[in-house]
Amino acid sequence: MAENIKGKFLDFIARNFMVEIDEIPLDESLIDEGIIDSFGLIEIASFIESEFGILVKEEQMTRSNFGSVHLIVDFVKGQES
Amino acid sequence: MTTSPERCCKCVLSSSFPTIAFDENGVCSFCRDEMHMPTEAATIERAQERIVELFESERGQAEYDAIMCYSGGKDSTYTLMTAVKKYNLKVLAFTLDNGFTSPAAFENIRRICDELGVDQITFAPSAKFFKPLIKVSALEEVYSPKTLVRISAICNSCISVVNNSALKLALEKEVPFILAGFTLGQIPANGIVYKNNYHFFRESREVYLERLRDSLGHAVDDYFCIKDSLLNKTKAFPYNVNLLCVEDPTEAEMFQVIAQIGWVSPRDVDGCSSNCRLNGFNNFIHQKNFRYSPYELELSHLIRKGKITREEALQKLSDTLQPEVITAIMKELAFSEEEIKAIGR
Ligand SMILES: [Zn+2]
Repeated sequence: MAENIKGKFLDFIARNFMVEIDEIPLDESLIDEGIIDSFGLIEIASFIESEFGILVKEEQMTRSNFGSVHLIVDFVKGQES
Repeated sequence: MTTSPERCCKCVLSSSFPTIAFDENGVCSFCRDEMHMPTEAATIERAQERIVELFESERGQAEYDAIMCYSGGKDSTYTLMTAVKKYNLKVLAFTLDNGFTSPAAFENIRRICDELGVDQITFAPSAKFFKPLIKVSALEEVYSPKTLVRISAICNSCISVVNNSALKLALEKEVPFILAGFTLGQIPANGIVYKNNYHFFRESREVYLERLRDSLGHAVDDYFCIKDSLLNKTKAFPYNVNLLCVEDPTEAEMFQVIAQIGWVSPRDVDGCSSNCRLNGFNNFIHQKNFRYSPYELELSHLIRKGKITREEALQKLSDTLQPEVITAIMKELAFSEEEIKAIGR
């Protein structure tokens, strides 16, 4: 399940932000690494909403939930269960 | 044996555009991918419904319904007109004068605001801060290359100051909406309407703010950040709305409609801008550094959507500033010979 979420998410990042999948860091902040800018966060939140049916609340948009690919995947898993 | 074409034969993306690949017919990977992207239309439709709902529930509550980031260019003029005439919003037009706003753009701003019955204010940051900001943006690696796929570094600095100043104004006046004239291609479809989450945005910009502070000192915070004293008083953050994305007129329609309310095309700007004298210079620097124009992505999107023709887009891209104009701007910004030579190396 988690692998599936991660795969979909990486695919989305690669297509939307013009990077190769193997260039995407899993444990570092996508922003700090220069993969996305702050607008990218809105796109990610919308992607999570449309792909997994999870509405991301304003107070959930924090570094502890969105600080890396793994954190985002954990966040999605946590919301699904 | 295939050689990469200079540009895609359907859109205008260059072969130097990040991650691009061409098929044997010279069609780029972005054009091919576009064929199976059905989600965007649904996203736009949802955004449209949400905008109508939000406007209905918030209209008439505050001194102004919306702050419009109004540059005087064609896109923001069309957006302002739509906000006032179609959505019946009481708008405060906000203009940032970076010192390079075309005089003709100011004449447009005056005429259009008078015609639409809109209040307008201009904020002109001190050149003592702004010229060094422009220079640092041009010469140093402040932003990530991913950010610079769709916008030049100087425009990005300028727009960040516009966004922050508009947000400050909205918070001070408790205005529920901030409007801007971005089009799809400049922003993603799910960025059409969103609640401004300042704290997270602030956090996410820290990397480049720190780079700017290294060169420009703590004045950066005055122009790029909101003071805690204001944040502590804030009950709700505004929504950012990009109306033009749901209206989606062709460029010709836009020109026709705004001409009727008195908009005149400025002559002292490059083919990709209708308000800023600096834009062509920004494109020049971007082209030197990355070997493609920061407008290629947006223009290519507009071509695929049938909003402009490929010939019109090529025309815009080739309408660049004369070398003597570039030299004059560099002088105005106090670039040294060495700095000029260092660009794009
Ligand atoms: Zn193409």
